[in-house]
Amino acid sequence: MQVISLDDLKRNGDLWQGRRAVVPAGRVLSSGWPVLDELLAGGWPRAALSELLSDSHQGLSLLLPLIARLSAEARWITWVAPPHVPYAPALAARGVRVGRLLLIREVSDEQALWAAEQVLKSGASSLLLAWPGEAGGKGPQTAQLRRLQLAAEQGDCSALLFRPLRTAGQGSSAALRLRVRPAPLGLEVEVLKRRGGWAGGSCIVPVGTGLRAEGRGRRAEDRGARSEGGADA
Amino acid sequence: MLWLALYFPQLPLEVFTRVRQQAGALVVVESQAGREQVSRCNSAAQAYGVRPGLALPAALTLCADLVVQRRDPGRERQALDELAAWAYQFSARIAFEPSLLLLEVGASRRLFGGLPGLLQRVQHELQQVGYSARHALAPTPTAAGLLARSRPGCEVSDAQALRSAVAPLPLASLTRERAVRELVRHVGLHTIGDVLGLPRVELARRSGPALPALLDRLLGHAADPRDEWSPPRHFAQTVELLGEIGQSTALVFPARRLMVALCGFLRGLGGGAQRLQWTLQHRDGRPPTAFDQGLLDPSRDADHMLEVFRERIERLVLPAPVVAIGLRVDDWQAFAEHSLALLDDNPGPRDHALLERLSNRLGEQRVRGLRCLPDHRPERAWQLCRPGDGDALPDGAHRQGLSQPPWLLASPRPLRDCGGVPDYGGALRLENLPERIEAGWWDGGDITRDYFIAHSPAGERLWVFRDRRGGGWYLHGLFV
Repeated sequence: MQVISLDDLKRNGDLWQGRRAVVPAGRVLSSGWPVLDELLAGGWPRAALSELLSDSHQGLSLLLPLIARLSAEARWITWVAPPHVPYAPALAARGVRVGRLLLIREVSDEQALWAAEQVLKSGASSLLLAWPGEAGGKGPQTAQLRRLQLAAEQGDCSALLFRPLRTAGQGSSAALRLRVRPAPLGLEVEVLKRRGGWAGGSCIVPVGTGLRAEGRGRRAEDRGARSEGGADA
Repeated sequence: MLWLALYFPQLPLEVFTRVRQQAGALVVVESQAGREQVSRCNSAAQAYGVRPGLALPAALTLCADLVVQRRDPGRERQALDELAAWAYQFSARIAFEPSLLLLEVGASRRLFGGLPGLLQRVQHELQQVGYSARHALAPTPTAAGLLARSRPGCEVSDAQALRSAVAPLPLASLTRERAVRELVRHVGLHTIGDVLGLPRVELARRSGPALPALLDRLLGHAADPRDEWSPPRHFAQTVELLGEIGQSTALVFPARRLMVALCGFLRGLGGGAQRLQWTLQHRDGRPPTAFDQGLLDPSRDADHMLEVFRERIERLVLPAPVVAIGLRVDDWQAFAEHSLALLDDNPGPRDHALLERLSNRLGEQRVRGLRCLPDHRPERAWQLCRPGDGDALPDGAHRQGLSQPPWLLASPRPLRDCGGVPDYGGALRLENLPERIEAGWWDGGDITRDYFIAHSPAGERLWVFRDRRGGGWYLHGLFV
């Protein structure tokens, strides 16, 4: 029988530890947004399933710094059933190597899930973004989500599903579930579920137009630091 | 068939100036009726008031530091030949006229996303090899050449349009034959249209058989065979520098010209080079410096080659100033376009298996890659392509993309006007000064639009435009 030590469970984030969740480096991918990394204890879960829930497929901007970084590597960044056209010049201007993008488009809901699973487990893609069809409440079922989760682990691919907010009540095996909505200064991100940690907690990610994620994030922090300083004085 | 003619009006000058980043005042002179006169001059010379047609002594009084070069037809012919090697990437059928290249692009334009994409690519690359060209498109090579010289920018694709495009041109622009000059003088037939109106037998009687035959070739009624350029076995080009270069890093500029030419040639061959042999000629007959530049993988990416060249040249100590730089490539690896696109980062065998599985099950049209196109119109600034074939344009061509959204709607969606601002679940608040996009006059798909970033009452950021031609607001993209 295989013996698993408590330390291993803690280190891999498989043990629920309340607020003291420590997600080990290597199991997360920095989002490129300092505020978001802090909220997510390091970044997006690597080789796991995450869900972004919103009213209208929001949240792509949160991922652009990660997409840009991973597109410098050899593996594909795969988009399954995107709701609009990924606009190549704007992506290129944000540092994305568009030649590394793989689009699976105009497919049925069933084909989309099949393709997502193939891509995830192939090992040839580092990131998968998917907008699964949700017509008539027939979104991916718990068993299908579980399959995607396993495939993501198998192929070391991080999967992000963009789903409607009304699916928040359904069960999901995703490692992370976020609620995303527009806010005056960017996008508000709220943690609905996190593997190995409490839900709750939110932040506003200053997704802007022109400026790079790191620069903007840092500046937002600076502003925060300054206003705190002011309060102390 | 569709012929693209590229006419190089400044070729006599550019064969001298293209290898120097900054050149002083320079003129090219030729003899006219026994006296030396300025044939072409660069902008630095023009700043002194030097103009083509000016006598050389007069030009020298305007600018004492003037560099004078005698026009060199041999060098111009060679430049055209080298340009043909570069143009091989656009067409396998290339022919020459004086100062002019003819490329048959009817078959190859689809590879470049249609004619606008092809033309922009041609102009962009020409700039990088250091030449400037005027273009024209026509169904026959004679017409394309004539139009490039007389009506640059003219693009016709069918016989009817061709006839009306050439009709107003002076007959003298078609040929300098004596019989034709006399027709013009004595009979008063000035334009091509004038002679096209004449009965053929009458025309042949007055002008001899040459002119009707020429008109037949012009309009495509008779075959127009040309001596076509055939690719050489080796790539070998040398540029003489105008003056001397003492600093090895200053060789990067002329070397890049050669590498862009090489890469155009390699794309035409469907190959990549792995070993570049450089030769630097020194003044005073010193023995040349030769060195090889090896690449890990076969490449035809000029930017990548330049990077390696830069590293190599930085370690090089020049024994004497350089007067000419030569590039030679003896062999290249032939490989399919597909493997080339994946070459630089070698994604491994699983990659292929995935694409095959997806395409087999879903169909190739559903498994696509994405590429940028050099166009300001959002609808035409991107294109689906084979996965891995596309990549961003070099040189920050998409800097304006920073103010544009990551999502584009497949087609612009009309928005209701709400007291001067667009309405999308309530009146939108416009964030910035408009970005005007005005393009497409050259292909009939022209647009004039003012794009704004707008905020909806729900807090979404949208990309909207006002159509300045037809009026009305449209939603075109989303920042979400």
